[in-house]
Amino acid sequence: MTPLLSFLNVSKRCADGGREILVLDRACLDIDAGVSVGVYGARRSGKSTLLRLAAGIALPDSGTVSFDGADMAQMSAGARSRLLRSAIAFMSADDWRANAGESVVDHVATALGSEGLTMREARHRALRVLDQVGVGAAGAQETASSLSLTERTKVMLARALAREPRLLVLDEPAQMPNLSDRDRFYALLRSATRERGMALLVASEEMAALQGLGVLMSISDGELCSTEERGTVVQMPGRRRAGAERPGW
Amino acid sequence: MASVSPEKTRWMRGPSTPLRGALLGLLLERPGHGGDLANRLAARLGETWRVDTNDVYRLLEQLEKTGLALSRDEPKRGNHRRTHLVYHPTEETSGALTLWMETLLPREPVRLGLQAKLSVARQEDAPRLLIALRAYERECLVLAQLVAPNDGEARSWAALCMECTRDAVYAQLQTEVDWATRTRRRINEFLERGQ
Repeated sequence: MTPLLSFLNVSKRCADGGREILVLDRACLDIDAGVSVGVYGARRSGKSTLLRLAAGIALPDSGTVSFDGADMAQMSAGARSRLLRSAIAFMSADDWRANAGESVVDHVATALGSEGLTMREARHRALRVLDQVGVGAAGAQETASSLSLTERTKVMLARALAREPRLLVLDEPAQMPNLSDRDRFYALLRSATRERGMALLVASEEMAALQGLGVLMSISDGELCSTEERGTVVQMPGRRRAGAERPGW
Repeated sequence: MASVSPEKTRWMRGPSTPLRGALLGLLLERPGHGGDLANRLAARLGETWRVDTNDVYRLLEQLEKTGLALSRDEPKRGNHRRTHLVYHPTEETSGALTLWMETLLPREPVRLGLQAKLSVARQEDAPRLLIALRAYERECLVLAQLVAPNDGEARSWAALCMECTRDAVYAQLQTEVDWATRTRRRINEFLERGQ
């Protein structure tokens, strides 16, 4: 079976002053539909680069990133952009941009601009998804720019889910001051992706935030460490591995 | 904490103290036979602890010898002709649990196996160390996958305590992963400098 997302020996370099540094080093990773993957890593570990490559926002310097069997580097910029508005949704807490005076429901509905829906239909779908992420009818009419960090994160998730993507890519989505809010957000994320059968790739600087995801990986100095030797992700999320020993601390 | 006689803290010696302490807490909640207590302990602490039923029986015997548990032969539920040992708390159990909650236990050595290797490694062992560190990092990730998630909805004190227990495991594993990656980086940087 072709994985939904596949990284094969993917490397990426970027300029750092007068020199070039390797930000992702021969990463290998397969994610099948319905699998949730958490990537734990510190700042500047390479996790954002990994996610941007997964979403087709950036292209690798070497190696292949494939979505549904198609090499992203072989697609035109327009095709990649269309993919990012349909089958792939990318969300980063830093990307919050609400227009002045725009209501929450309109903020979500405008993300559906490329779906061929009327504004009325888009609003209807937006309201439904907002309700699923815990933003009720009253909250949907609030001004988007006045939301708290926690509410804003839910609305961003609704915006990403509204397009019904097959792969959801989230970069440090829940930068919340309250731990219960963070845990609730991740519980919501897990159930929303599970119910829709979509694949999830989420990165965080906090390993605890990634609890309950099917597969956990770490990244440091651009090097991906997976529970599998080659970074291959199994098909069933939430699997249990037999024979895991407790480290000797 | 006021000074306490060494007699009262004797049961807190050795690496099994956390399990003995947790067993006292479970006994105070309700009595149980060894298998029942082992199951309840595993449910509370999570899979990463890998609670061994035989260890639980051994620890219960130790607690009984120190007067913190009392076993009685009682008929099995559903088969009254057969009996099994059911452990009960004693008058001392509650006080011992309180004392354990107040006592700062000495830290146990962490990742002893890898530390021992690092402490005597020769430079030609660097590739082997890098492999061992990566394997250790992977092992920590595997364990982290076993931890059940918190959903931020702890509605009771017991649920909150279980969430915090899981958090403790995650915090330890994150620290271990950080240490493994940092050590690999330091070794690699040293090798790159050509020393």
